Amino acid sequence: MTSSFHKPSGSSWIGLAEDPLPLAEAHQFLLGESAGGVCLFTGVVRRWTGDVETPGLNYEAYATMAVAEMERLAADASTRWPVVRLVLLHRLGNVDAGEASVVVGLACPHRADAFEACRWLIDTLKTEVPIWKDETEYNRITFPIEPTML
Amino acid sequence: MMAVAASKIGIRVNVRLFSVLREAVGVSTMDIEAPVGCTAGGLLDQLAAAHPAIHRFRSHIRLAVNASYVSVDVVLGDGDEIALITPTSGG
Repeated sequence: MTSSFHKPSGSSWIGLAEDPLPLAEAHQFLLGESAGGVCLFTGVVRRWTGDVETPGLNYEAYATMAVAEMERLAADASTRWPVVRLVLLHRLGNVDAGEASVVVGLACPHRADAFEACRWLIDTLKTEVPIWKDETEYNRITFPIEPTML
Repeated sequence: MMAVAASKIGIRVNVRLFSVLREAVGVSTMDIEAPVGCTAGGLLDQLAAAHPAIHRFRSHIRLAVNASYVSVDVVLGDGDEIALITPTSGG
């Protein structure tokens, strides 16, 4: 795991890192003449859930497998929808309330496919990719971050 | 001959724990010896018997071998990395 997100290669940008998500760069990466529909979903750490305050979350991953699963989901999405470009980036470590923890972006020729593929990717990421959030670990580093990655 | 020799010494695998399981067991990795022919499910049986915390979470655990999800009947090999994956919560 590196502290910053590596630059995209080819038509996909997939990664895990501790740095803030490069949202503007992700959007720019998706723009192009072949894609008439670009859908960008950003997951943000929510401070308030009813009366319960969450100052931030800590994200932990089985990094090697998480990136492999993210690549597998990207490949699956590309077989199901006409994906021109794709972004799948997730933060690790401490993420303050109000900051983005995940960004999923799809560029497709038409908007319906971009919306559907984007919804499928974020929903499937949550259930399949080995990443865990933990409020109590926020601001407490008690495990080694795995050295890997894209 | 190789199979006979291996059956005497068994295999060694590395078990990875994350999130609630890492906290409950108190370690993030374990080197475990298992019999030749041991399946992923068999190893989970062995771990659940040795660690009450793993037993407690057992019905929620999915298994991965060398960074891919597997079914419980997959046979393990020497040097494999087995991850115990509790329900994920990214996003």
